[in-house]
Amino acid sequence: MSDKLSSNKKGSVLVVGGGIGGMQASLDLADSGFKVHMVQKEPSIGGTMVMLDKTFPTGDCSMCMISPKMVEVGRHLNVDIHTLAEVVSVEGEEGNFRAKIRLAPRYVDPAKCTGCGECEAQCPKKVPSEFDQQLGNRKSIYALFPQAVPNTRAIDDRYCLFLTSRKKGAKKDVCKKCEKACKAGAINYDDKGQEIEVNVGSIILAPGLDRYNAKVRGELGLGRWPNVVTSLQFERILSASGPFKGEVKRPSDDKHPKKVAWIQCVGSRDPHNANPWCSSVCCMYATKQSIIAKEHDKHIEPAIFYMDMRAFGKDFDKYVERAKNEYGVRYQRAMVSAIREDPGSGDLVLRYAAEDGSLIDETFEMVVLSIGFEPHKDAAEFAKTFGIEPNVYKFAKTSPLNPVETTRKGVFVTGTYQGPKDIPDTVMQGSAVAGEAMALLSEARGTETIKKELPPEKEVLGEEPRIGVLVCHCGINIASTVQVEQVVEAVKDLPGVVYATNTLYACSQDTQETIKQLVKEKNLNRLVVASCTPRTHEPLFQETIRDAGLNKYLFDLADIREQCSWCHMGHKEEATKKAIRIVKMAIAKSRLQEPIKTDTVGVTPACLIIGGGIAGMTAALSLADQGFQVSIVEKENELGGLVRNLYRTLEGNDVREFLASRIGQVRSHPKIKVFTGTEVRNTDGFVGNFKTTLTDGTEISHGAIILTTGGIEYEPTEYLYKESDRVVTQRELEKKIAAAEVQAGNRYVMIQCVGSREEPNQYCSRICCQDAVKNAIAIKEKDPSAQVFILYRDIRTYGLREDYYKKARELGVIFVRYDVNRKPEVAQSGNGMSVKTWDYMLNRELNIGADWVVLSAGFRPHPTTEKVGALYKVTRNPDGYFLEAHVKLRPVDFPSEGIFVAGLAHAPKNLDETITQALASAGRAGVVLSHDRLAISGIIAKHRKDLCMSCLSCFRVCPFDSPYIGEDGKVAHNEVKCHGCGICAAICPAKAFQVNNFRDDQILAMIDVAVECDTSVAGG
Amino acid sequence: MIVGKQKPFEEIWNMVKDFKKVLVYGCNTCVAICHAGGGKEAEIIASMIRIKAAEEGVPMEVKHAGIERHCEPEYFEPLMEEVKTYDLVLSTACGVGVNFLSERIGNIPVYPGINTEFFGAVPQAGVFTELCAGCGNCILHLTGGICPIARCSKSLMNGPCGGTNKGKCEISQEVDCGWYLIVERMKQLGTVDKLYAIQQPRNWSTARDGGPRRVVLAHIQDLEEEEAKKES
Repeated sequence: MSDKLSSNKKGSVLVVGGGIGGMQASLDLADSGFKVHMVQKEPSIGGTMVMLDKTFPTGDCSMCMISPKMVEVGRHLNVDIHTLAEVVSVEGEEGNFRAKIRLAPRYVDPAKCTGCGECEAQCPKKVPSEFDQQLGNRKSIYALFPQAVPNTRAIDDRYCLFLTSRKKGAKKDVCKKCEKACKAGAINYDDKGQEIEVNVGSIILAPGLDRYNAKVRGELGLGRWPNVVTSLQFERILSASGPFKGEVKRPSDDKHPKKVAWIQCVGSRDPHNANPWCSSVCCMYATKQSIIAKEHDKHIEPAIFYMDMRAFGKDFDKYVERAKNEYGVRYQRAMVSAIREDPGSGDLVLRYAAEDGSLIDETFEMVVLSIGFEPHKDAAEFAKTFGIEPNVYKFAKTSPLNPVETTRKGVFVTGTYQGPKDIPDTVMQGSAVAGEAMALLSEARGTETIKKELPPEKEVLGEEPRIGVLVCHCGINIASTVQVEQVVEAVKDLPGVVYATNTLYACSQDTQETIKQLVKEKNLNRLVVASCTPRTHEPLFQETIRDAGLNKYLFDLADIREQCSWCHMGHKEEATKKAIRIVKMAIAKSRLQEPIKTDTVGVTPACLIIGGGIAGMTAALSLADQGFQVSIVEKENELGGLVRNLYRTLEGNDVREFLASRIGQVRSHPKIKVFTGTEVRNTDGFVGNFKTTLTDGTEISHGAIILTTGGIEYEPTEYLYKESDRVVTQRELEKKIAAAEVQAGNRYVMIQCVGSREEPNQYCSRICCQDAVKNAIAIKEKDPSAQVFILYRDIRTYGLREDYYKKARELGVIFVRYDVNRKPEVAQSGNGMSVKTWDYMLNRELNIGADWVVLSAGFRPHPTTEKVGALYKVTRNPDGYFLEAHVKLRPVDFPSEGIFVAGLAHAPKNLDETITQALASAGRAGVVLSHDRLAISGIIAKHRKDLCMSCLSCFRVCPFDSPYIGEDGKVAHNEVKCHGCGICAAICPAKAFQVNNFRDDQILAMIDVAVECDTSVAGG
Repeated sequence: MIVGKQKPFEEIWNMVKDFKKVLVYGCNTCVAICHAGGGKEAEIIASMIRIKAAEEGVPMEVKHAGIERHCEPEYFEPLMEEVKTYDLVLSTACGVGVNFLSERIGNIPVYPGINTEFFGAVPQAGVFTELCAGCGNCILHLTGGICPIARCSKSLMNGPCGGTNKGKCEISQEVDCGWYLIVERMKQLGTVDKLYAIQQPRNWSTARDGGPRRVVLAHIQDLEEEEAKKES
């Protein structure tokens, strides 16, 4: 405590930007004892991700994933959201900044607004919708989208009839319809906005991105030909909440297009008309869009025009292969030089050069431009405001070795402002900056946060059920297929139901308030919401009823969207019948629900890190700086892992010096213990309370685990490797370059994708393209007379790495594409080597003599991954890399609580990405370790010894070892280890195990309703 | 323990379909452990019958119950009155339980819901094996602890038949040759020479061939005899 008092560091953080990256950082920080001020320019948080339809590879609805997170941010006690806000100045230094924030007038008083939306319905002024990318309209008083957080409407003073006419000096009042419509009296035309000042310890910049304005590329016809749309517009077209309600239609004539073309790299990889960098995400979103389009309408024939297919991420190549093989997506390697409209039909004629050089005109019915990312228009000004240096492209300047640090101490950057990246990398950086801020402000943790005062839980045991039922329209997601009113009518008089109604969006923030009021007014003691999947939305409603004084397990969710409206589109009557039955089932269960008492367990504020490579060391330092005890267990006799073989990064940083200093920091940190030449023998326990025994007998108590077991480099068996000393790997070449062992005038032929992107290793190793480019540049810079050929399948220098690809070409490195079905052939030839390969541009075979053949060998998971995976019961993907809890939103978590992953153990990645992920895992672990006590889920199995026959069925099948044979020789149960998976309950022949809230009597009651026929016949 | 296996549902349905009020009656000991006829399975079967009845439009009331053991009358007693209100009891106890209840229930039929298989062991979850045939005259000390009666398909007593094939029985590649197991085990124990002693033809009267069996503890038998004397 004395520490906290003597420090002048603030326990709060300013997060600039409310997209998914900013939200992740805010939640991690706020969940671990820091106050967060979130500043968002738009009237709602959400950023770019809310506009997306689905996300790959799971096909999860983007809004459905982010909406609960937005609500979580919106309702978090320790996050203050300032919307329509911009930071105007920052003073002070790390640990203690003062930031002035300018809040633009909203003209609606958030304290009075209920979010009912009546004003919006009455507003006569239509404005092209930003959310629908100008394909639809919004009103001048509006919420950015229906699930907006906060849901307070805002008046757009650029369009409002009253405000614009008043500004022009009109004598008479114009319109004011919103004011008349507002029952709450929340409209305030005289709002002038305000300026506030916050005092924070650290600043996180997450301002997100702008998109390239494709109208600049006039030859592509955006804005001129109506059936040419941007990729973001196409997301809205695909979206069920979009302007065409999910039907794939052409804007010009509502026709369903058959042939649809995607044009890649519009605004990217083009230094002349656009941006020189690669936007990193367009190859994959085009692939996703073509698959989803095909799922919406099987007649669509998608074609993607591209330069290089950059499917560099985890499992991306598999997704592209699926698009090709299962969905028939055509990938055409060509750049489209012009698009013209076929007069009359609205079809579009694309001109492009086939690989052999012949010109082709091909007609499509619709064209999607895959537009790239760029920093915000005002990025230069933004950087000045925060006193940070931008890079040449106006992204925040960072270094690969400190990927989330800006040039100003205490100011961190996350997401696309640091460089183009996808959702999981953004989320990862969100947790990473949170980890950095936690480390910086550790002594001020908990000084500015407030604790939630929950009302006491109402005693409902023994009361008759009083169930409230809310049936959600989900906009039109449910209501266009299911007759929602009919559902309400069918259930409102069921036994136990005291109130039933329908609602447009059950998940919106104002509905949460409605629910709380209902609980009070109708004296409800159970709640059923019929909407979407409990996976994303159950926690939200549970928290809402808990706020209203009910035990959160008195809630049940009936999924009438995923399990009904979405899969029975076009069958209104049957879908409505089914929805009624689904809701009846939930009500049947609800009647039998009982409050569940949840327990808490203490937390050991220490972390075990398995693997002493750069990921493990980075995570260790961050956690140790956060104030937690850290133990690193490294199998080898020295720290460093694979990075020991690395000399320089692509950007030229000295890796050896970095590694040495990092090892030095780890070795000298008082809170870090290093065990080398040691492995874990076994770990027992659960989140917050693990106990690990090492092979040297040491016992460690810890609250979290980070798996950074790393990877290994593939040792090639092809291309005469090991048979000729003239065939080396990129890593071996790098060593030669570093030792200045390269001879002048040599010729190098590099072969990419050795051991990658082919069955059984159908994945990209992500780093090899850059490795080849890095070494090629080093050779050419040292010795311009050297010749370097790079034989590649796709060059994947994504993001800002594209610069180096360009540089290599400028230095005279020759890139020759090869096809996987026609691989290069390497032979010994005199003292040197010869490489035969087919050149698709020249349409002939090349025979290249070489002094050195350099193989870009990829990564494999470390052999210990399997063992460690089994030890901690975490799963791996088919390639053997650890599988995270959710590929988009939980990229460093495992489903088992308290266990995290970082680095190559997760997937192949670059050094900067490994460092980022390591910081992220430290941030996530910090959230767990910062708690004195953790609440254990109420959804666990309960064991009744009086019914148990000790037949051992449970003991044999439990994946978490929670049933055990007690000292009396009978089965007993350790509830803390229980995950509530229910396997024991399913297998127990005596029904001695019952999972809370999923008890047999509840499930059977549901089944009885599900199979209920005319009761006069069925009986029983 | 007794191992049972649920009858095919079609067979169960044919047994019960003409009754109006059916009790599915589980036994919570052996057949519960083998997931065939405990209270839980009785509940499931009852549900299945109700679903089928609803599908077929047959009016029928189906309930379920379960008690600790069907082979001891004291467990029945608390429920007997209610049980007697049904038209049919579908017992998911082993055959012992069906007989035992049937003898005591009066005019109500008791039908079997499971097939009683054998008494066996549980080497792993969900797997049950027959290791003893209950022949009434144990010779496991002569055969390395492996029973030739239960585990040789022919119950041979003096070594394998000509059908033994690389450790498997001629009836199936899935079935171990009992005598192969015996020889291997006795080699391991160093007692193979015991096998040279010829086993005399066996007296099967202690097994099923001797008719229904009854075991009475000696002191009880004495009591019984005394009682009988008094009466005569």
